[in-house]
Amino acid sequence: MKRLIAFLAVGLCSLPCFGDDLSQPSITNFTFGVSNGTSQIRIRPGPAVEQYTVISGTNIVALSNSTAGVLNSSNFTWNATNPLSSARFVGLKVTPMSSNALLAANILNRLAYGPTPDDLLIVSNAPQAYINQQLAPESITETIDDLPLTDTTDGTNNWIYVTATGIASSSVLYVYLTDAGEAYIDDIKLVVGTQAGVGVNLIANGDFEGATFPAPSWSIGTNANLSNSVISTSIKHGGAQSLHLISTDNGSSRESSIYQTITPSLSTTQTYTLSFWYLPVSITNVGVGTVRLSGSGIVALPDQSVGRNFQRLSNHVAGITDLRAWFCAHAVGAKRQLLEVLTQFLDNHFVTQYSKTQDYMGQYYPDGGSQMRAAVDMEFREISRWRQALMDPSCTFSNLLRISAESPAMIVYLDTVTSRGDGNPPKTANENYARELLELFTCGVDNGYDQNDITVMSRAWTGWRIELVNPTNEFNPFAAKTTLTLPGAPNTAYSNLVGVWACNFKQSFHYTVSNKLVFPSKTVPARFGAPWAGRNYELNIPATSGTNGLSDGYRVIAHLSNLPFTEEFICVKLCRLFVHDNFVHGTYDYTQPNLPPEARLVHDCMLAWENGTPRGNIRAVLNTIFNSDLFRSHGGSLQKVKTPLELAASTIRALRVDLGGGTNFSASTDGYSFATPLSRMGAMLLFDRAAPDGYPEQADPWISAGTVAERIRFVESTLIGLGQAGKSDGGNNFTAPVTLLQAKLPAGSWNNAAAVVDYFLAIIYPAEGKANLDALRTSAINFLNTDNAGAASAFSSLAVSGTPLSTYDQRVRGMVAMLMSLPRFQEQ
Amino acid sequence: MQHINLITRRGFMDRSMKIGMAAALGSLVNLPLVLKRALAEGSIGQNGKKLFFIFLRFGNDSLNSVVPIKDPAYVDTSGSQTGNSNWGVSAFRPTLVIPPDSLGGLLLPAYSETTGVADFFPSGTGTTGVFAYQKAIALRNGFAALHPNLKFLAPLYNTGKLAIIHRVGYPNQSRSHFDSQNYWENGAPNNNTVKDGILYRTMVERLNAQSNALNAVSIQSALPLILRGSDLALTNLSDVSRYSLLGVPANTNGETKATLAVSNANQFAFPPKQNRDLLKLHFDNLAKTLPLFDNISSLLATPYLDNENTDGDYPYNLFPTTNNTNGGYVRGGGVTNTAKYVVDTASSSYSFFTNLKAAALVLNKTDATIAGTELGGFDTHQTQGGLTGTHPNLQKRIAWAIYALWKYFSANADKVDWNNLTVVTLSEFGRTSAENGDNGTDHGEAGVMYVAGGGVHGGTYGCSTSESIPWVPGSVGVRSGSMFALPVGSATPNYLKRAIDYRSVLGELIRDHLGATQNQLNKIIPGYANESVERLLSGGHVNADNTDIRGELNLV
Repeated sequence: MKRLIAFLAVGLCSLPCFGDDLSQPSITNFTFGVSNGTSQIRIRPGPAVEQYTVISGTNIVALSNSTAGVLNSSNFTWNATNPLSSARFVGLKVTPMSSNALLAANILNRLAYGPTPDDLLIVSNAPQAYINQQLAPESITETIDDLPLTDTTDGTNNWIYVTATGIASSSVLYVYLTDAGEAYIDDIKLVVGTQAGVGVNLIANGDFEGATFPAPSWSIGTNANLSNSVISTSIKHGGAQSLHLISTDNGSSRESSIYQTITPSLSTTQTYTLSFWYLPVSITNVGVGTVRLSGSGIVALPDQSVGRNFQRLSNHVAGITDLRAWFCAHAVGAKRQLLEVLTQFLDNHFVTQYSKTQDYMGQYYPDGGSQMRAAVDMEFREISRWRQALMDPSCTFSNLLRISAESPAMIVYLDTVTSRGDGNPPKTANENYARELLELFTCGVDNGYDQNDITVMSRAWTGWRIELVNPTNEFNPFAAKTTLTLPGAPNTAYSNLVGVWACNFKQSFHYTVSNKLVFPSKTVPARFGAPWAGRNYELNIPATSGTNGLSDGYRVIAHLSNLPFTEEFICVKLCRLFVHDNFVHGTYDYTQPNLPPEARLVHDCMLAWENGTPRGNIRAVLNTIFNSDLFRSHGGSLQKVKTPLELAASTIRALRVDLGGGTNFSASTDGYSFATPLSRMGAMLLFDRAAPDGYPEQADPWISAGTVAERIRFVESTLIGLGQAGKSDGGNNFTAPVTLLQAKLPAGSWNNAAAVVDYFLAIIYPAEGKANLDALRTSAINFLNTDNAGAASAFSSLAVSGTPLSTYDQRVRGMVAMLMSLPRFQEQ
Repeated sequence: MQHINLITRRGFMDRSMKIGMAAALGSLVNLPLVLKRALAEGSIGQNGKKLFFIFLRFGNDSLNSVVPIKDPAYVDTSGSQTGNSNWGVSAFRPTLVIPPDSLGGLLLPAYSETTGVADFFPSGTGTTGVFAYQKAIALRNGFAALHPNLKFLAPLYNTGKLAIIHRVGYPNQSRSHFDSQNYWENGAPNNNTVKDGILYRTMVERLNAQSNALNAVSIQSALPLILRGSDLALTNLSDVSRYSLLGVPANTNGETKATLAVSNANQFAFPPKQNRDLLKLHFDNLAKTLPLFDNISSLLATPYLDNENTDGDYPYNLFPTTNNTNGGYVRGGGVTNTAKYVVDTASSSYSFFTNLKAAALVLNKTDATIAGTELGGFDTHQTQGGLTGTHPNLQKRIAWAIYALWKYFSANADKVDWNNLTVVTLSEFGRTSAENGDNGTDHGEAGVMYVAGGGVHGGTYGCSTSESIPWVPGSVGVRSGSMFALPVGSATPNYLKRAIDYRSVLGELIRDHLGATQNQLNKIIPGYANESVERLLSGGHVNADNTDIRGELNLV
């Protein structure tokens, strides 16, 4: 009887692997059939493998590739096609992915909101350079907040160039503002195809040079909201005239718009591009300029561009949808990706809730809009301060904590705004902020403090309230209420005042009775080891009165910022963000000789913190993580599940390349369309988390059947072509996978199912390893060769087309959506 | 050369990750054994019994829910209203106190009566508001009263099918929301390493759990810890009507093709990663459960009405999801009356009742044994509200939800009726007994649970002075008695001390209602396997925090 010996996996360099190591590829089982070709080897796949090769031979030091069988990659069995002859050794050769390619994928999955096809190439060429650059966002030129193409040829005005492409839904074009306000519009063009302004303009009198208004060609809706609109001769982009839209109420339809019925009629299967020049009159306009076809096949919302949004946010007049849109557009399109990831981390760590602030503003402003804008402004200024701090190479955790403590949004969110310690006997201070400051923002739960510390510390924060102050006094906590009024204001009610809401110390509410002894006689536990163990970390805050009471809070910040408990908890949270979920605080014993790698990394981070220049330097800690083996290893990839925001942003980014000029992308979002899908995927309401622990970083709270269904629906609606059924389910998120493949693959491959699938597998699953994707590859090729009814239909014979109605386009979209609907796309 | 370094690093790193995980596992000392159901045992899922849970998140203030109206530390009711100038005043809850009633001296004695029949004040058909009565509602157990906004608990209480369980907690109570919610959900107090839920472990013990598509369902934004675990996927939906894939293109064929492709691809083998088993489990659950909710989706718009003239008015809609379905708001002849709302009109109120309705339909129309949802907003640190405001509005929602479930399952039984259903509420802690300087309350200790159902032995538990571990009344203006029993030795004690462990309540329901054996229950709630220390079954002295508890209450 012949005997075959299977031995454990042999790596490329003959480094023996460990048989009990579950993440190592190896042969796990061997069954042998003498003559009928039933010999079978079962393989345990390993991470990031490019190729598995079964090798065999009779001389153990000279095994060669076996051609006697084939690998079934859906279950990783190798089945001999011919009977194996003679006694022999059988081994497994594993070709790993290039370490740079894998590191690039890891970097883009963790330091960024997912890889883009072009970034994958750039970063794999120089991964360390990308890390260094992202760690220093000030070194990256960011243009995302710039206004789109502007033109000042008329002398003084910043006209914005606006374009929108889509499939005609009707032949009636509406122009209106969604609320009261003013704007100028000029040189409206609609052309066939995707090139703005190239071809015959189908709009009559789009330059408003006609002698009378609205004629020729335009009509005014029957509602009165736009009846004050006029033709302007003094302000115009081109020619001698433009349309001066003056809106007194919200527009939304033909009745409330200035409209034109385009003749001859547009084709509802044809792609057109709309373009025009737009001049907003006032930054404080509430109405959003809108030019669209009836049916919304083509919509242009110039005020919703990232640049216009940024203008509104910077001028304190943005709403929550604007803030979220700006934030999500940055996640997708910003070059400073790590800054965006850290902004979300900080906003989620030092969590606040705009809707609670909005409710609180009810006592100052009569209308919901003003209440919301004030609340949103507090959120925006808070994250802007963090972003500014992170641009500084010497930024510390203490800087970031202080920004949070001073944030009026935080002061409202955890009730410091109404907490009192005055009176005799003193009123019982509200514990909410003191508790969460220790439990969630610094030490971590059950880590170095107790109820007494909370109760005592809560007194330090009494008097930290908010006030509407002159913008120049934003950082003066003793400033009086602003006295600036809006022009023509009848009185000094809050709604008539100009100012910003800021941290403001009201000494009359402060606890002044006695000193506040926090962490009395407490010492750092032995498990921390050197240099921390045994340190006494008592904090004695002396009794203070008058404006000196403010210093209590700053003493607390200074003390908590660099406690070892804080260092540990923050480092653990950063490791969970950038490495994997299974880091814990409060339990590692750093004095043990055989520390698990997670504990070792946390310890390294704490040392980097302790020895940073200055102490607590954030970049030093991040650099430690990004240089760790856990971050860079093959085994370290794809251990995390994307949050809803990460899933949505990475879906767009996976298919996003610049098709020219930084304005035309193969995948894009208006930013506004993320909020609803994020809510459906597990109630990830940005800037509106009710619970102070922030949204979870680990996987299991996000993943269950209902949220998975919504993740898939988001991907599907994003892949559905413009104007097609189901597109509106996820809003204005656009992808053009055929345009992408046409830009990246030679024309000869466009009908080659395998080549098309290989391209998308490489950009969607860059960290998995080719050999681990074989089954998906087969499945995707089958998808391309199957029609919707499930019958065979050769992809090679489909007419190549990027038109959403074409079979080719639908087939490619369906295949890409399928790939991105799978469990593996949830990972990063 | 690069490859050599690479392999070395990989081998090294993979080993070290393994060591890391092994070390982590080694520390999970109290982790229940691997929960594979070995033998046919018990009758969970087979006995026709079902469970409905509602988690009240962020700490429901128990003292203003089930009010210790006869405890002088809560409110001074000594003497008469005319003779005692401090009558009805609360030293420790000056703005939050629920006032006792002394109208003509008629009602006050009711608080001392022990007939066990609670007052119910119907608003009638006129313009009188549903909650016009704004005094503590006598439960007539000799001691406690209900917040007036809990009035709809009264008729159910009077059928003997509502158990009001006060002073519920667990040893060494955490006052962190997140720790304490974890412990209530994982059934393992002070042990965050137990990563699966108490109702998950219950479902693992259900016969054929692995082959059943649906075992337990929550309707909320995401699957709660109480239903999470690694071997069996339980199901959460946030919106039953959206539970399908679109397909690309989004038509019947496209949807079928997409659903098939996703379900097939989920079977492919991949190298192990930390979350791959989790993803596979829930993608499989998705594939199995996608077809099961179509009929429920179509029933969501069906109005379910009370079977009697609610509140003496006319039959109200059981699930208020809009103003027009909210109590008696819509009157005849196009007249509306906001005083006739049975719950507040906030969007969080209506979304709660939308979820409640869907969960009730799921439990009634599918084979799921457990369904539930959650209600948030209980973290009332600031301006909590005594008779009106945040907390009082939440009270309306709780009472109406339990009332609605009672009426819905009584009149519309399909796969389960009221007699075979138990409804239970959970909340991670009660709140400080004294209000803070901000007219609110901070995180406290013992709380209150409501258990209702056709098989429930109704009544009050833990809220009278005449039971085995009596509520010890304090003195007027002195931090004393049960309300201020903790922390021991503190100069300013502020927490209600527990007399009942929440695990005894859930344990009894899981065993005696759902049909677990005691052996199964010992696995589901590990504390049961440690009776000499935990005292969950028979009660006794718990050394861990030097507290006497009652053990099981014979609730069902």
